[in-house]
Amino acid sequence: MGVPRRPVEPPTAEQAAFLERAIAEYGKATYNFAYRLTQNESDARDLTQDAFIRVYRAWRSFQPGTSFLSWIYRIVTNLYRDELRRRKGRFHEEIPEDNAPQEFGGQRPLAVTPIEDYVEGQLSEPLSQALQMLSPEQRQVVMLADIEEYSYQEISEIMGCSIGTVRSRLHRARALLRRLIQRQQQQQQR
Amino acid sequence: MTQHLTTDNIIDYLHGELDPAEDALVHSHLQACAPCRAEFERESSLTDALRAYAHAEERDLPGMVKAQLWQTIRTQRPSAAERLAALLRPAIAVPAAALLVLVTYFASPLGRPTAQLRTIDVMYYFEQHAAEQMKSPLADRNATSSMLETSEAAFTGSTTLPVRAAAVMDAVR
Repeated sequence: MGVPRRPVEPPTAEQAAFLERAIAEYGKATYNFAYRLTQNESDARDLTQDAFIRVYRAWRSFQPGTSFLSWIYRIVTNLYRDELRRRKGRFHEEIPEDNAPQEFGGQRPLAVTPIEDYVEGQLSEPLSQALQMLSPEQRQVVMLADIEEYSYQEISEIMGCSIGTVRSRLHRARALLRRLIQRQQQQQQR
Repeated sequence: MTQHLTTDNIIDYLHGELDPAEDALVHSHLQACAPCRAEFERESSLTDALRAYAHAEERDLPGMVKAQLWQTIRTQRPSAAERLAALLRPAIAVPAAALLVLVTYFASPLGRPTAQLRTIDVMYYFEQHAAEQMKSPLADRNATSSMLETSEAAFTGSTTLPVRAAAVMDAVR
């Protein structure tokens, strides 16, 4: 921060207009996506800002007719992944995916259906906590598939992995989510 | 389909990710099988819960993000890649321009001289000259016909221009 920064060439009118429009149309969705990933406002703000700076720099590489949202979600995903590596995951207590099949795989329906209760009533806090306990990749695949309603193919392009990986991550993440919600309900009942 | 559906099947069905034949099988199975339908309802309700959570938690983009974004853009240093590109721009642009000029030159008629043209002209000249000689009653017919043969061989490209010219000159002599 102490080093004076040299301004780069000012944006052209076209470049500025592109960025303005991108922020106006997709800023909120990008920020919410970043917030759900990071689970905190400060990191979500930084992530959103960095993503739009990437958009600003690479605006000519955007192909009209393709999905801008998919593009910026991919940018956010990559930035988040880089940030996690830089921080060495110390902000997240990841649950190894390998644990999921042994612990939860093949489990039949729960005896109770706490999810419906959360939908009707105290939804946010337990689900938010459960989401925080997923690994970043699991949380992201759930968000993209269930909240953003992307196809497995689109998710694989955003996350940079195979469709098979998307499928298995989603299956495990949902099984884990259900298990975590059940656990929280049991704790509340005690 | 007599066996129960797996949860993975149901999740893929819920997300519209089965191929049409599988999708139809799962659909008809769910009509007939109460336990699998219950499982489907549970998975559906998880999706509903996630969407409701996302909707409830939705936030507006803080105004400071946009302000800081523009501030950063106006004050940021160029990235390492951008600095390198700026540094290399003259080193790349000058040879590229030179190459373009050369390519343009050699692709145009200016850059294609004259080897072929000169060959034709020279041959044409000697053939015309030999033909004129043949008409002359005083001409040395042996030398002239030899000159014509040599010039024909040269015209078909069997020798290079200097060799062909030398051969024709010898024949004239």
